[in-house]
Amino acid sequence: MRQSNRIGGRIFIGLTFLFLYLPIFLLIIFSFNAGESSAVWQGFSLDWYAALFRNRLIMESLYTTLLVSLLATVVATAAGTFAAIGLYALSKRKRDALLVVNDIPMMNADIVTGVSLCLFFVAFFQGWGAFARWFNGVQGVVALPERLVLGFTTMLLAHIAFDIPYVILNVAPKLRQMDRNLVDAAQDLGCTWMQAFWRVILPEIKPGIVSGALIAFTMSIDDFVISYFTAGSSTSTLAMRIYSMTKKRITPEVNAVSTLLFLSVLALLVLNNVREIRQERRAASLEPRAPTLLEKLSMKFNQPAYRWVRRGLAGAMACAFLVVVVLLTGATGSQPVVNVCSWGEYIDESLIEQFEDETGIRVNYQTAESNEALYSLLKSGGADYDVIVPSDYMISQLLEEGMLEELDYSRIPNFELIDRRFRNLPYDPENKYTVPYTWGTLGLIYNANMVEEEPVSWGALYDDQYAGDVLLINNSRDALAAALLHLGYSVNTTDEEEIREAFALIADASRRGVFQGKVMDQVFQKMEGGNAALAAYYAGDYLSMLDNQADGVDLRYVIPEEGANWFVDAMCVLKDTPHYDEALEWINFIASTDANLANMDYIWYASPNTEALERYPAYYEELYGEELDPELYEIMAAPPEVLERCEMYSVLPPETRALYNELWIRLGA
Amino acid sequence: MRNKRGWFAVPYVVWMALFVVIPILIMAVYAVTTADPATGELQLTGANFTGMGVYLNVFLRSFWLAVVATLVCLLIGYPVSYWMAKEGPRFQRLAMALIMLPMWMNFLLRTYSWMSILENNGLLNQLFRAIGLLDLLGVDYLHMIGTPGAVVLGMVYNYLPFMILPIYSVIVKLDGSLIEAARDLGADGVRVFRRVIFPLSLPGILSGVTMVFVPSVSTFAISSLLGGGKQTMLGDLIELQFLGGAYNPHLGAAISMVMMVIVVVCMVVMNHFGEGEEQAVML
Repeated sequence: MRQSNRIGGRIFIGLTFLFLYLPIFLLIIFSFNAGESSAVWQGFSLDWYAALFRNRLIMESLYTTLLVSLLATVVATAAGTFAAIGLYALSKRKRDALLVVNDIPMMNADIVTGVSLCLFFVAFFQGWGAFARWFNGVQGVVALPERLVLGFTTMLLAHIAFDIPYVILNVAPKLRQMDRNLVDAAQDLGCTWMQAFWRVILPEIKPGIVSGALIAFTMSIDDFVISYFTAGSSTSTLAMRIYSMTKKRITPEVNAVSTLLFLSVLALLVLNNVREIRQERRAASLEPRAPTLLEKLSMKFNQPAYRWVRRGLAGAMACAFLVVVVLLTGATGSQPVVNVCSWGEYIDESLIEQFEDETGIRVNYQTAESNEALYSLLKSGGADYDVIVPSDYMISQLLEEGMLEELDYSRIPNFELIDRRFRNLPYDPENKYTVPYTWGTLGLIYNANMVEEEPVSWGALYDDQYAGDVLLINNSRDALAAALLHLGYSVNTTDEEEIREAFALIADASRRGVFQGKVMDQVFQKMEGGNAALAAYYAGDYLSMLDNQADGVDLRYVIPEEGANWFVDAMCVLKDTPHYDEALEWINFIASTDANLANMDYIWYASPNTEALERYPAYYEELYGEELDPELYEIMAAPPEVLERCEMYSVLPPETRALYNELWIRLGA
Repeated sequence: MRNKRGWFAVPYVVWMALFVVIPILIMAVYAVTTADPATGELQLTGANFTGMGVYLNVFLRSFWLAVVATLVCLLIGYPVSYWMAKEGPRFQRLAMALIMLPMWMNFLLRTYSWMSILENNGLLNQLFRAIGLLDLLGVDYLHMIGTPGAVVLGMVYNYLPFMILPIYSVIVKLDGSLIEAARDLGADGVRVFRRVIFPLSLPGILSGVTMVFVPSVSTFAISSLLGGGKQTMLGDLIELQFLGGAYNPHLGAAISMVMMVIVVVCMVVMNHFGEGEEQAVML
């Protein structure tokens, strides 16, 4: 009976490991896939590994991850060990009270720690800003930076903060087990306290320090939530990069980076295991063994006469470490930089390299999920942007709150190329703040093979017929616009009844299970792969999807009979940016005809540049050797009669925005 | 000498005050105030708490899914730990390494791998199609992603090691002579387990439950990736207020505070059952 029990146990453990590892193995297998799918095998290739090493964003984030984890582990281990020794010298009552506080970061949910640290940093920055302004005002010798933002340093501090408790928790039991008299004995025998520490305490608690460091490192590398809230916009760990990628198209480069991570960790573990087994064998055989060269060296090294050599070496190592850190931060700090925030899949990335080569200005290119998310980022103080590309109504809102800087158009000569139709629009009537980037329409995308009849109305989004196959656009403004249009109201209505009615339409459909999910850029994957039938999305993105359709998917785009929204996304510069000159250079570069043509070809959004708009069909023909389908061109650059049926968003009053927010959140609740 | 070493603790006390206590106090200040939209000045208000009633569903869903995930983890994790502790040291060390290994890949990578498995056109549905299960049921695909089940699966998958490690570390240290004594006194296998092994492994269970429940109840990445944005949980709600589409850090802070308090109360009540038994530390 016992034997069968044991076999049963092994089977159970085996199944559990299968559950733990099967997804990882699939991840690894698909990193070698020739195609872009992570579900359909299309042949073996190493392309994604090549692509990974060329992908600057992923490589940078990998580097950030490793750097922050290592630095945090080193600092937290040292600090935690000393703190633990200090705690054990205190009376039990004081110690217990402090250990309760020590437990807080471990007991608290990550998100609470992340949020509270984020608020703390932002509050500190505000206080610092006021202090620096005052300080710089009263003296002119030292100029303190007035504007601090979340970034690598704040993330590192946060990591140290949540790592230290784990170190203390691991070191403390070893201290408790240690015989206190040992230190006294050592000192009675003439040791200084430092010697007693190095020779007596440290060897005793070493296993605790090692396991504490190990756990600290594990926690740091596994963390996503706390980094997400404290890193701001310009720093990304691998996890944050992947999170933002999962919101749009996720490529097998992610599988490749996971595979490499997994294999390197596996190699480390195997090495460690082999070493341990060897040590055990040695211990078991109890055979005296000739010391290795390294051991001889270290024995010699430990003699008192070599004390100064030892200290010198330690000092040199510490200095080298510092120099590396300073160099790393300095290398990125000295070069002129412009921080750009745009949307996912919204630029031909070769333009970034081209701009960097031409001007020597480094572009830190980030993306936000929606206008509303961008606004949150700006408000929460986490954003470090210079140039942003919000849509019309968000520009009005940012202007209202005085968050944008006036542009010096004499330094943006390419603004002359912008079509008159796209100048002096209601969001910026005197055109003092913006340079249009793209324009387009919001329409209905559907998979002709998954619908019975071609939908012509927004009503299809709320139709039971397509239950489980509809994607709801994950931003309140666009989602509500479709519902308002369907009900025959204006997209800019401020009438509470109308808005509530439109929300009820969405909420009701949601209750009936019509929606498969709320998505923004995930729409690409879902629609291309035939995972959903209907979605409201932007014309340009529909055209990109056409390039990536899976077999058996036939995507179409329609401006519904009730009309639609048309929008302009424009480049603006945030107030008080430290990189104003670089920002203007970037805007001028992007507004050029060549950049607009490249962008149009890559992202399929219509350009506001007159020349580019006219030349695009010819450009396409030259590039691909075939004529551009006029129907597709009309979807991209909607002709005037279509635009007439469309309405532009205008900024809503704060009460209406609050109502939108409240109803929108309740939708998910 | 004692006092001298006591100074070692001072930097850490300052550090904790700065990076643990003050941030939570700032969060509390945010939770009980609101910013005037025109001037940006803070005004004292209780509206953040009183208005939270509309999110009752989110609270209930979060706690419900977290409880389910914790129970599943316990049901899988306990037997695994128990049987693992009975194996030889080589097996144990290997098994421990294998349990820890996925944690060094970030948990988002692990969650992402489930996305491609659970999609409507994903691997699992393709498998079902290939073996004819879908035809048998007469559907195009089984709807898995975007369901509460997918979210629970993601939690169990990610947090199972947090359950296994503490339970295992308690069971493996269990004094064998106690079990022998029980047997000598005539207890059968079931009885030994119920009266000796299980009560003695309770501290491990308690810390395992804590380590799974807390991240589960507050997750937002798992629910947004596997829940398709429809299974809004507390974490999503909080994220939405800070970096998502509805900027209101005051409400976000208030929700965080309430969640923190509820979690702490749960933990205190639960640990009360453990009779203040020294908590097992992982590893």
